[in-house]
Amino acid sequence: MTAPLVTFQNVQKWFGDFVAVRDMTLDIHEGEFLAIMGSSGCGKTTTLRMLAGLETPTAGEIRIGGRLMNDVKPHDRDTPLVWQSLALFPYLTARENVEFGLKMRGVSPNERKTRALDWLDRMQISEFAERNVATLSGGQKQRVALARSLVMEPQMLLLDEPLSALDANLVIRMQGVLIQLQKELGITFVYVTHSQSEAFAMADRVVIMSQGDIAQIGAPKDIYRAPANRFVAEFVGRNNILSGKVTDIGAKGVEISAQQGTFVAANPNRPLSAGQSVSFTVSADLVSLSTEEPKTKNKAQATLISEEFIGSIVTVFLEGAAGQDYKVQMQERALAALDLVPGRDVWLSWDIENANILESDL
Amino acid sequence: MKAQRKIDVYALTWRLPIILWQLLFFVGPVVFMIVISFFVVKNYRMTEAFEFVNWERMLTRGYFWDSYWYTLFIASLSATIAMIVAFPASWALAFRASETQRRWAVFLLIIPFFTSYLVRTFSWYVILAESGVLNAILGYVGLGPFKMLNTHFGTIIGYLTLTLPLAVILQTITMANIDKTLIEAARNLGCKPLATIWRVVLPLSKTGFIVAALFCFILAFGDFVAPFYLGGSQEPTLPILILDTTKSGQQWPRAAVVAIMMMATLFTIAFTAIVLAYRKPKGTNA
Repeated sequence: MTAPLVTFQNVQKWFGDFVAVRDMTLDIHEGEFLAIMGSSGCGKTTTLRMLAGLETPTAGEIRIGGRLMNDVKPHDRDTPLVWQSLALFPYLTARENVEFGLKMRGVSPNERKTRALDWLDRMQISEFAERNVATLSGGQKQRVALARSLVMEPQMLLLDEPLSALDANLVIRMQGVLIQLQKELGITFVYVTHSQSEAFAMADRVVIMSQGDIAQIGAPKDIYRAPANRFVAEFVGRNNILSGKVTDIGAKGVEISAQQGTFVAANPNRPLSAGQSVSFTVSADLVSLSTEEPKTKNKAQATLISEEFIGSIVTVFLEGAAGQDYKVQMQERALAALDLVPGRDVWLSWDIENANILESDL
Repeated sequence: MKAQRKIDVYALTWRLPIILWQLLFFVGPVVFMIVISFFVVKNYRMTEAFEFVNWERMLTRGYFWDSYWYTLFIASLSATIAMIVAFPASWALAFRASETQRRWAVFLLIIPFFTSYLVRTFSWYVILAESGVLNAILGYVGLGPFKMLNTHFGTIIGYLTLTLPLAVILQTITMANIDKTLIEAARNLGCKPLATIWRVVLPLSKTGFIVAALFCFILAFGDFVAPFYLGGSQEPTLPILILDTTKSGQQWPRAAVVAIMMMATLFTIAFTAIVLAYRKPKGTNA
């Protein structure tokens, strides 16, 4: 593998007593679509701002293409950012907005006009080139903002929740536009979002942050199926989390004795010893519901509490032994076939390979 | 319908005082002034008439136009200086100071208005006089003494006393409301820190700045105190001309002509400025 485009080496950022980024070590590779995801205040935007030079790290090193960037001013960088608020200049037309960066670089008026119009055309908004940006719709503004950054032909594009102001249908459309652009251009996208669906739909790798720390890095599917810790398990998707003690480690899996029963989970990539406390997760969509006791090893009895109906998929909430909460996602018609009523006892079951032991209990 | 009428009466009751006030003390005097500009003065007494003699006398005289252009020039110059001198302070207050610091600064800038402008003008005597504070300090480093009272410089200092705090307040409020993200966006696209002033801050502050400059101009243009006491009427501005005209031979009608010319000039400039200030950016009506 070639050298990473960006490296964060033990980067910290403090605002007075508040730690925005605690101790970040992260590589960003050339041409990848990286999403940084977390709830507000987790340090994701600060990380992006440090990449753009709008914040200076308190400690640690940030390198881009091998060059130490800690004290490089924003205007001396090649890291255009697409802002959450879009930050288009309201006193300029769409074309003038796109030309802004080229003008700052001293590109001749003719060339920057040609390049700006090319990009507006590519974003399918060339008919609005001479319109003031205030007169454009949300989706059109979004495209102007993208064109304004991409016309600079950067190695890396930074995006700070650019789709958060758009309505749901438009978000899906723009996701398609972004994925395609990233593929065609082959440049690195660093995309900050709080939205799991945006991150998982677009990114090659996702960084999940929590209170200034990286909670997990991985491909969307890996994070979804194998959360590394309790925080990720609760933050991402719908997971059932059970805790117990290791009683036996075999070839088929790890036997865990919990208050809710004895379960077998898939062997993790780390050594375990008997008697050790562990937690494991099972995705809600990998749990089966039945009215009769299943024959499998991994099963639990629980009482139906409520259902959350959002279309063809239903989430069922249940409570089992020792006050354990369970969530099960299933097809609405499969649930209807079971003919359940709240308060009724049912059986849950899941396969050994779907029980994922967490790396840490945090 | 009945309810509608009732509301109208209610609204009118509240509006009436301001309407009466404006009619009595603004429209009335202006009309009166226009009327007396056609009166004539005979044996130091104003007599009703409808003659153009005053207009002819004033507008064909070199001294009127000298005074007119000088007033226009020095008021514009003072407004320009006020806007430039105020800018660094306003910029720092808007972008560098905290919310609390800014609040205190605006409060402190209002304090000069507690004291009469006339008193503040006289206090400049102590500073600007040939044996005053400033010349004493300059004397220590081997400069001067400079004649600062009864000069154009004195007039400008007087105007600035009146307008500078206002310019800082208006500029600060305007720039404090700028979306800081736009400045960061410009930096992000390669704009150097100083260049953000031209590229982002000023275009976004257009309306507020034009209004601030307009205020500085209007206050200086109509001011009598600064050119009279600090400028020493070296070159009479229009307000001084009005005073002189009324004093010399009770020429109220001719003074009215000067006043009307001033009003017309202010109306034109204020109207143009407001149109410019609120002009929509290009591409808005496409």
